[in-house]
Amino acid sequence: MSGLLDYVPGNTFLHRLHPLSKLIFSFGLCLACFLTQNHWLVLGVIVCSLLQAALAGMLKPALAVLRALSKLSLLLFLAQVFFVRQGQIVLSLPLDIYITDQGLSFSCLFVLRLIAVTLPLFIMLSITRMSDLTNALTRLGLPYKYAFALTTAMRFIPLFGKEMSEIMEAQTARGVEFDSKNFCKKLKLILPLCLPLLLSSVRRIENSAIAAELRGFNVRKKDSGYKRYVLGRGDAAVLGALVLILAAVGLEHFYG
Amino acid sequence: MLRLAEVSFGLEGERIISKISFTLGQGEFAALLGENGAGKSTLCRLSMGLLKPAAGRVLVCGQDTAAVKTSAIARQAGFLFQNPDRQICRPSVAGEIMLGLELTVPDPAERERRCRETLALFSLDPEAHPFNLSRGERQLLALASVLAPGPRLLILDEPTTGLDYRECMTVMEIIARRNREGATVLMVSHDMEVASDFARRVLVLNRGELAGDGPVREIMRDQALLQRASLLPPQIPALALSLGGQFAAAFTIEEMAALAANSRRGRL
Repeated sequence: MSGLLDYVPGNTFLHRLHPLSKLIFSFGLCLACFLTQNHWLVLGVIVCSLLQAALAGMLKPALAVLRALSKLSLLLFLAQVFFVRQGQIVLSLPLDIYITDQGLSFSCLFVLRLIAVTLPLFIMLSITRMSDLTNALTRLGLPYKYAFALTTAMRFIPLFGKEMSEIMEAQTARGVEFDSKNFCKKLKLILPLCLPLLLSSVRRIENSAIAAELRGFNVRKKDSGYKRYVLGRGDAAVLGALVLILAAVGLEHFYG
Repeated sequence: MLRLAEVSFGLEGERIISKISFTLGQGEFAALLGENGAGKSTLCRLSMGLLKPAAGRVLVCGQDTAAVKTSAIARQAGFLFQNPDRQICRPSVAGEIMLGLELTVPDPAERERRCRETLALFSLDPEAHPFNLSRGERQLLALASVLAPGPRLLILDEPTTGLDYRECMTVMEIIARRNREGATVLMVSHDMEVASDFARRVLVLNRGELAGDGPVREIMRDQALLQRASLLPPQIPALALSLGGQFAAAFTIEEMAALAANSRRGRL
């Protein structure tokens, strides 16, 4: 069973792209979301990401992430919408609480951006091997140690998630009520588990570091990787699409 | 104490457990054997209510695991994981043992008494930090904290993994003693010697199906069944079967020694 940020094997057009193209495309989409103030453009980025997920054969996990993000977005929307006091009041509630048109617009843009930024990164990490990503970052000029640290940190996120759920399972088996539906109670119970998670994480990282040292981590040079990545027509198409998206955002920014 | 009726379970369309039925009565000691990936740990998790069956029913002390919370089942059953570090979450050995007691024993004085008893039984230092202990000591601590509340059913997922012979025997003697006191034990093990020495009943899993269920002496001699499940018989039954004749019935070293002595006397 693959976790949230695990590589999903495949041989689709998107899987075969140069890792740098995937990286640039996903960060380009994120940039577009932050440059624009237009809700429709941000929504367009979300649709583009879903299309990308469908092409990579991972629409189902992408929709699952979208569902999870939608729940979080609803909470964030509610937390935001009552705090913006500028603009025309569209809904008045008791105790001087009201919702304005600007509040609605700002909160919508906020949650749309959250979704639009998360989806491309999730898809990029799911269709790119961490080793390819490390090599790509090294080719960009980032020292191998830093590239390795960055990708290792990302690789550890799902591992820690899995570890945490296993610790919670073990505590449930001891009678701790992690199967309670009360969120606050659950949160209170989770805090003491940070200790075993932290200790097991430190132990795991230490073991990984020793293993890397033993495999000649420090003698690695820029050209030590045997893989060669070639930019193809697919990469040109993807990067061209990104340029068009960024151009649309630029036009909207200056003339919209 | 534990009843599985036609239990099936799968993940992502893959069937892991297929229509398994068995009942463990009070005071039984059963070993669950099978190769890696046979579904032993999944079956243990189903038996504890950590996983809910896709079909069939799992009853722990009469409670249907699909209908009650796992934390409620934990009042009756104790579960020992393969990796003790998942279970340990308090900064002292005594605190770790108290965690299970706090959840199950309402009387503070009784909790204190049980904690002291458990510490003495396992010869553990109450003030030690659990993560400063060796792997074997952490395994002992995890077992101690599972046993302290006095569960009626013990589900042990490879309790002797990573332990040396002395630690292994300490752990198994404590489990056997608790079993003699009336607790039901379901133990996953890859160690056929441990299983044949301590269990009285053996369940053999093969690719998610219950391939064999019977008394330990019967199952450990069933070479065809063990071969099907990619298991090797313990050394003495294997030797007895290969020698055949009057030695074929031997199951323990003592039995084999007695038969050998009889044979020598007969020749003299």
